[in-house]
Amino acid sequence: MILDNIIAAFGEIGNVTTLALMLVGVAGGLIAGAIPGFTIAMAVVLTLPFTFGMPATQGLAIMVSVLVGGLSGGLMAGILTGIPGTPSSVATTFDGFPMARQGRPGLALGIGVWSSFSGGMISAVLLVTLAPQLARIGLEFNPWDYFMLVMFALTITASLSGRNLVKGLIAGAVGLLARTVGEDEAVGMARFDFGNDALLQGFDFIAVLIGLFAFSQLLRDVRDPEAAKKSLTEKGTIHAKIEHLAAIRTLVKHWAVVVRSALIGVFTGILPGAGGSVANILAYDQAKKASKTPEKFGTGTPEGIIAPESSNNAVEGGALIVLMALGIPGDVTAAVMLGALLMHDVVPSPTFIAEEPVLAYSIFIAFFVATFMMVGLQSFMLRVFVLVTKIRMYMLAAIILGFCGIGVFAINNVEFDLWTLLWFGILGFVMRQFGFPLAPMILGVVLGNIAEINLARAMAITTDISPFFTRPWSLFFMIVALFSAAYPLFQAHRGKRRWTLFYQPAACLAVALPLVMMGGVPRPILAALVAGFGVWTLYRRWQNGWRLEPADRPVLTE
Amino acid sequence: MGRLNRDAVIAIVLLMVCGILFWSTFSIRSPDYGQLKPSTWPRVVLGVLSLLSTIYLVQSLRRGPAPEDGPDKDDDGPARAPGPIGWVLYWRNPLWCFGLFFAYLVTLPTLGSLIGGVLFVFTLMGVLGGWSARNLLQHAALALITVGGMWGVFTYGLGVILPPGEIFSPF
Repeated sequence: MILDNIIAAFGEIGNVTTLALMLVGVAGGLIAGAIPGFTIAMAVVLTLPFTFGMPATQGLAIMVSVLVGGLSGGLMAGILTGIPGTPSSVATTFDGFPMARQGRPGLALGIGVWSSFSGGMISAVLLVTLAPQLARIGLEFNPWDYFMLVMFALTITASLSGRNLVKGLIAGAVGLLARTVGEDEAVGMARFDFGNDALLQGFDFIAVLIGLFAFSQLLRDVRDPEAAKKSLTEKGTIHAKIEHLAAIRTLVKHWAVVVRSALIGVFTGILPGAGGSVANILAYDQAKKASKTPEKFGTGTPEGIIAPESSNNAVEGGALIVLMALGIPGDVTAAVMLGALLMHDVVPSPTFIAEEPVLAYSIFIAFFVATFMMVGLQSFMLRVFVLVTKIRMYMLAAIILGFCGIGVFAINNVEFDLWTLLWFGILGFVMRQFGFPLAPMILGVVLGNIAEINLARAMAITTDISPFFTRPWSLFFMIVALFSAAYPLFQAHRGKRRWTLFYQPAACLAVALPLVMMGGVPRPILAALVAGFGVWTLYRRWQNGWRLEPADRPVLTE
Repeated sequence: MGRLNRDAVIAIVLLMVCGILFWSTFSIRSPDYGQLKPSTWPRVVLGVLSLLSTIYLVQSLRRGPAPEDGPDKDDDGPARAPGPIGWVLYWRNPLWCFGLFFAYLVTLPTLGSLIGGVLFVFTLMGVLGGWSARNLLQHAALALITVGGMWGVFTYGLGVILPPGEIFSPF
């Protein structure tokens, strides 16, 4: 059955046009990822208008290609110039740049490319195998559970994406509010239209996404008039030949780092709110801790390149697992992918993979194919990267804003969308300046309708709100949402306040309760293990004289 | 006003917006069917937003006059000069971008997306990068090639009917 779907998916995307467009997508993603200040989400969101007129399979394959290219593009800038192209490749510069400066830029690039490839492949395999399994679990979800899942996604994104949880939650609520403008989806009544016909149709959420993310980011990039006139990097004449064979040998030698980092990446991707920017630092930190020579980290050690690059490419596989199986985006990039799916009238849900197997598997296969294309294109794109570094930021910003002015109109052929782009561009810019994270707002915009529809469905079944607390999955998501909301407080006061001693054991014991309520055999066993871990942690703290060391981990912020 | 820092002002503005929107939820019509009224969800969200804004206000007032967070990461370049002129000079590039995009939208029905887009990109490059003779040529070429190329892709490649404008209509 799976094999049939894979063959059918290959048939769908295995035509010259789609493959050629995917190649362009990977190349575009590589360049976008290599440009400091140009994020992967921005590249993916700007690709959206181009794909709307294409068949769903083709359009989504291109989006995936841009995504895969973008994930790997950051390493070029990071290794050759020391400036990470994207937040996902920050840790790559720690060892990639020193290795390049020691005269081995080709090896550093090779290790980066093949680590990206390996991370992508591991996560693609997990995507194909885990997504259908997770979708089966998702079939157990009722509207109450879905509503709570959305609340959990918003809460954890807010708690991970900024210094101030309240600001993150406000941003999420503003996103939810923006989505309520216009006719409501349940009964079609006008809301917040203030007598304006244009507002009656609501804000097109793709225009909102492009405004919030791309428009506001570009304005930030050109804020300083002098910096805007400079080339993207002054070191644009670097030439390097990728040492593929030496890099593969290095990767084989450090295969454990590759696998561990890829798994960290997949897990981080599955967790809503934590993207590549978190995964690459986390994987680097773990690789350093596990290394026999941690003192060499930061001086150009291969493990320091392998860990971040394997993990950041694996992140999107994880995010796509949740997106494809449950319809919940794990990060901003996955939120944009959800936008692409919705634009093609595809609504991801637990039944999506079963009902649209060819389309679902086409996305999986596109992820595989794009990863291979990425390796093939890296050497060529290195030359293009040198040219791109000569472009001045203000030129790039003006051209992209011009593109926004055309592309956003093309989505619905509605001029109001361009005004939406402008207003949300201003809002996004102001929010960034005032320290509000945009990721929760974007998730709020994308998930607002899903939350409301599921609340309406729940209320249509019964007006009693007790199922939110008595249904195992709903209770599970409520508990993890509460503990994730308290996580920034825990990190800030860890070891300084007494209650932080009990945070982790309390979380384990609380989570065990809904797992027991789910019934069956494996879940109560899992509940016992989780509760046992909580009790063991409490015991260790007691043995340690009720002391907890302050956090010495890298700060995980988006 | 002595205790009001920037965060407190933002919180007050948020609370005012919440109040206005909450008041306007009373004009949302409710049908006779469906358990969840169309106004319920916006009210829930506004309630949560009001609560969060109140917490934000209290946090800000407790902290005193200095704002907690500066801009995300915008400390590049020279420091901002005091006064409104200093503010405008500091933010002149984003203001130009907003202003010119606004002008592009206002003139879109007349100029259309091709002429309007080329003019927008050319003018924006000029104000951001300077008006030297070399720049003029470079910017004009870039604006024509990029906007013209995008317009061509959408019009002929994807079959999108972009606003033709009153001056130039290809259809």
